[in-house]
Amino acid sequence: MNRLTLTSFSLRHPWLVVLLTLLASIVFLLQFPKVNFDNDPENMLDKNEHVRLFHHEVKEKYALYDFVIVGIVNEDHPDGIFNVDTLGRIDRLTRQLLYLYRTDQGEPAIRAVADAGSRDQILDLRPQGSWQRLLNTAFNHDPNRLFDENGQSVIIGQELIAPSVVDNLKQAKLGALKLEYLMEEPPRTRDEALVIRDDAMGNPLYAGTLVAEDEKAICLYIPIVDKTYSYTVANLVRHLTRDWPVADQVHITGLPVAEDTFGIEMLVQMATSAPLAGLAIFLLLFFFFRKLTLIIAPMVVAVVSVICTMGLLIGLGFDVHIMSSMIAIFLMPIAVADSVHILSEFYDTYPRFRDRAETLRHVIGHLFRPMLFTSLTTMAGFASLATTPIPPVQVFGLHVAFGVGLAWLLSITLIPAYVMLAVPDRRLASLTATATADAPGGALDHFLTRVGAFSTRRYRPILLAVCLLVATAVYGISQIKVNDNPVKWFMPSHEIRIADEILNRHFGGTYTAYLTLEATRPGQCNCVEKAEILAAETEARFGSLYPEATVRFLEEIAELRQRYGTVSAADAHRAFVALITVAEEIDEENLTSWQNLADAVNYLDPEGLDLARLEAELGSSEGIRPADRQSLLAQLGDRRATGLDLIDAALEVTDRYTASSFTDFVYEMEAEMTAPLFKQPQMLRYLAGLQAALAAEPVVGKSSSVVDALRKANFELNFLAPPAGLGDAELAAYRERNRSFFAVPESAAAAGQVYVQLEGMKKKDSLFHMVTRDYQEANLWVQLTSGDNQDMEQVVGLVESYLAENPPPTPLKAEWAGLTYLNVVWQDKMVRGMIGSLAGSFVVVLIMMSLLFRSPLYGVFAMIPLSVTITLIYGIIGLVGKDYDMPVAVLSALTLGLSVDFAIHFLQRARELQREFGSWPEAALRMFREPALAISRNAIIIAVGFTPLLLAPLVPYRTVGFFLATIMAVSWLATLFILPTLLTVFQKAAFGERRPHETSSDPSH
Amino acid sequence: MRLILTTALTTALIMLSLLAVAAAELSADQIVERANQAAYYAGQDGRAEVHMTIRDAQGGTRQRAFTILRLNTGDGDQKFYVYFTEPADVRKMAYLVWKNVGGEDDRWLWLPALNLNKRIAPGDKRTSFVGSDFFYEDVSGRGLEEDGHELVETTDRHFLLKHTPKNPSAVEFAWFQTWIDRQTFLPMRAEYYDAGGNRYREVEALKVETVQGYPTVTVSEARDLRAGSSTRNAFSNVSYEIGLQEQIFTERFLRRPPREVSR
Repeated sequence: MNRLTLTSFSLRHPWLVVLLTLLASIVFLLQFPKVNFDNDPENMLDKNEHVRLFHHEVKEKYALYDFVIVGIVNEDHPDGIFNVDTLGRIDRLTRQLLYLYRTDQGEPAIRAVADAGSRDQILDLRPQGSWQRLLNTAFNHDPNRLFDENGQSVIIGQELIAPSVVDNLKQAKLGALKLEYLMEEPPRTRDEALVIRDDAMGNPLYAGTLVAEDEKAICLYIPIVDKTYSYTVANLVRHLTRDWPVADQVHITGLPVAEDTFGIEMLVQMATSAPLAGLAIFLLLFFFFRKLTLIIAPMVVAVVSVICTMGLLIGLGFDVHIMSSMIAIFLMPIAVADSVHILSEFYDTYPRFRDRAETLRHVIGHLFRPMLFTSLTTMAGFASLATTPIPPVQVFGLHVAFGVGLAWLLSITLIPAYVMLAVPDRRLASLTATATADAPGGALDHFLTRVGAFSTRRYRPILLAVCLLVATAVYGISQIKVNDNPVKWFMPSHEIRIADEILNRHFGGTYTAYLTLEATRPGQCNCVEKAEILAAETEARFGSLYPEATVRFLEEIAELRQRYGTVSAADAHRAFVALITVAEEIDEENLTSWQNLADAVNYLDPEGLDLARLEAELGSSEGIRPADRQSLLAQLGDRRATGLDLIDAALEVTDRYTASSFTDFVYEMEAEMTAPLFKQPQMLRYLAGLQAALAAEPVVGKSSSVVDALRKANFELNFLAPPAGLGDAELAAYRERNRSFFAVPESAAAAGQVYVQLEGMKKKDSLFHMVTRDYQEANLWVQLTSGDNQDMEQVVGLVESYLAENPPPTPLKAEWAGLTYLNVVWQDKMVRGMIGSLAGSFVVVLIMMSLLFRSPLYGVFAMIPLSVTITLIYGIIGLVGKDYDMPVAVLSALTLGLSVDFAIHFLQRARELQREFGSWPEAALRMFREPALAISRNAIIIAVGFTPLLLAPLVPYRTVGFFLATIMAVSWLATLFILPTLLTVFQKAAFGERRPHETSSDPSH
Repeated sequence: MRLILTTALTTALIMLSLLAVAAAELSADQIVERANQAAYYAGQDGRAEVHMTIRDAQGGTRQRAFTILRLNTGDGDQKFYVYFTEPADVRKMAYLVWKNVGGEDDRWLWLPALNLNKRIAPGDKRTSFVGSDFFYEDVSGRGLEEDGHELVETTDRHFLLKHTPKNPSAVEFAWFQTWIDRQTFLPMRAEYYDAGGNRYREVEALKVETVQGYPTVTVSEARDLRAGSSTRNAFSNVSYEIGLQEQIFTERFLRRPPREVSR
């Protein structure tokens, strides 16, 4: 099978080729309805990727959900957001979200609950515009999709975070503590609204998250069962707030909304950008060739390649991800390239043969190798993406590679078939007479001739300039910032960007990451150490009071230490049970009498009680040693107190004895020593320290942990309202006393008892978003005002160094989760993966080039323009400060595949011409005629083909469009300037010729 | 647990058989009244030890143990004393509740490790009891006048009643239904439904024993179907008519627990 086998076949059976192409297109087109879109950046990571699994584990463990964040901002009202009307609207919105249900007809509706007279509100969230409706139908998007398969609302009502449904602990009358929702009822007066403000501001868990510290904004966090519902939920909120006054601005953001919205807009982009790119290419081809019948063919090649590639992708069951949505746009300009070469040559050589088949045979025979190799290198460039660890990029790379291969096949089969069928000879008769803008003698040709003249003679300044440019670019590359942020995929004018900007100005940040903390070796007992502490504590408390009992108790501890010394925490519990038995025996001997005495006193009827009656009553009680009774009476002395005062005085005495209970001591020590990690005051204070360190980091707007909940509850529980009529000094003392309780409780038992109060709040289990139910592991919510990966990375680094520099009381394992962090991980993989795949494909292409030209030198030559191009492009990215994000990363592979094409065509033709004329300078003159023209046409077509992307409202598409155009321009120039220069410099090695100027113009040799 | 608090008159057994005969003609309100008596008012006073197991959606469990004392003080009013014995860190923690029928309850809290006695302002009674799936209202009973009652069905063993709140915005349920045993008048099962018509909460009596003549629920379970959690209460050492004095249901006895809780 030689190079013309396929072409000859299609020249003989053009109808068959067309039919086969049509059939293939139909088969692949039939796959389209099975399409499934995936706009979840999380899928940039493999399903089994550790961090992804861990993220879901954390979400499950702490019952965390993806949130749609709705920020309501009022900058006009003097009280900011805390005015009666706005709070009322927020309350109504909250209830509407809670009472969402699906009617029997499948419509979303809001149950009327508050007043029995009102009717349920049926909603229709479908857009009014017919274009939007059409798009929704085409992309299978239903705005009324607010329910899961069981008909349940996708909003997780019991986890909704809004002023009307979050807990509030506050002081009430009579020194009582009140447990209620922050906004139990919408306020009716300004004073009521301001109470809500003060309550919210006084709670460290709410200020900066639920309510803005500048008092101008409130955020609702709407948890949804799956982030793919975030767009429809955001749409619902927009619908419910559409009649709100302008002063109450509603902003919706959060990574899930951003990601989901991006997905929806991506589809619109697909539906507009790809056809626009097609149109641009069509117009350009028309401009170059002026023959409609001729240029329909490359368009057909492009469209068929795109249809088959997308059909294959869908047919194989892959989701259309942001990457694969760009397949059409990438493929279209590449697919026409070979056809353009063929047509360009066909057009130039037809007058010589005056026979279509003959001309085609000549053209394809002559272009076969460069076309095959350009296609193979492009395929290699894209296929190398398969080595990245990012599934959507792999799918993208392999499918584009497939599409490029198909386009090549179609170019050498469908194009000839088409020419035979649709372009009669008579239409071509006038060809020679036609003058086009870029025909020999045209502007482009003129320009190229001058470039050729310059680059073959002035190789020194060119080489110098290239070296300088490369050096600058290398510096630029060293400045590259790897960074991405899905919110920034939208233009700054997009409502999501605006919402993001406004809400992050008012709040502690809408980007959440979770830092989980647990012991590195959970369940470790440290029993020997504990036994020592226990023994020392026993000695200190009881040594002088009960010397004998102390000795006995210490012996028991020593024995238990022997038995349980090196075992797990579960056995520590058993050790304490054993100790309790001994302690109770000791107490039985020492304390029973005093305890009975205290009890007897406690139950006395205070009515008419005096010392004499007390003595009489106690005399008749059982289980009391007379000596103890005498001791009590002696200590009460001749006290005049009566009633309750007397009882209290007596209890004060008995307390001194009953306090030295071994049993209480053991329980107390057990509570402290077996306390789970996050009941231990030391560890809780350590966590508070970590939060303080995080707060110093500008990008961290806020962090929340159990410590915040604990301190607030401890404060409110211990709060004492100063009595009326106190002076300033006394009031200050009260304040100081109260403030001192805004702290971690002093003991593990105290922490445990405050926790029990928090567990019993109205919003059940909200504590367990921050700590596990066994209090062994904690989850610190870190809110960032920016979703940029580099900001997240900085926070990760900060925590790492904090943990290293400030060793925690128990060694901790710290691990991150949360969407903001997930983005960092895949971004990092992307960068590393891209570097690897770029290096790999570089080597592959180099080998291919060496084989193609059967010369390692030519192989190296072919690689130089593209190496310069890649260096320059990434240098520019570094120098202008553009973040190295996902689209930029993918471009590297593309550059490699595309810009080597120019070098292949150039070198191949240069060699042929040199052979033909026997002299490189002579050949070089010819090179800058038709061959350079064909290369230039191609470069322009591809560059222009990508320009419609510049109109896209989504930033990644713009980035791709801009850089592809730039890449084409740079690699085109690099090819035209550098290759002639190199061939001139290395003439001898390249052609076996001597350089003509070597002796004459270079006296130094 | 609510069932230890269970009350009725001393002649309960005889009464019960009489009631069963009369049951067929009872109105919904009468059934609810009897059920309330059976579930919350057995004896003049009562005591039980409760072992509570809270099971979360992931299968993890937390244990609590407490002793509960109840005294009927007349006109339907009652006083409760709840004293924690386990786990070690909440040992000696105590709650005191005065239930005032038709009015707000009084509530106090004693946290020994903080040496703190705090009054809790009246508020929503449908909040979690110490982090479990039971509500405070399950412990002390829900006011009968707060709902409209309707007898849906009478089966061989049960009356099935539907209860609809008179003030729907004050509670988290849209309605609930109970299965009341026709013999004992103990509510055996309750199911709560939300505004969307979904069942989201259940309370069930899993075991009933007769103690001193009073049918008493000794194992009960509350389930939060949304969160996937459940709480089981096992009652032991249940006794009635032990002669509790009213003075122990005071703040003084929070700091120094009455002897009835520990022995």
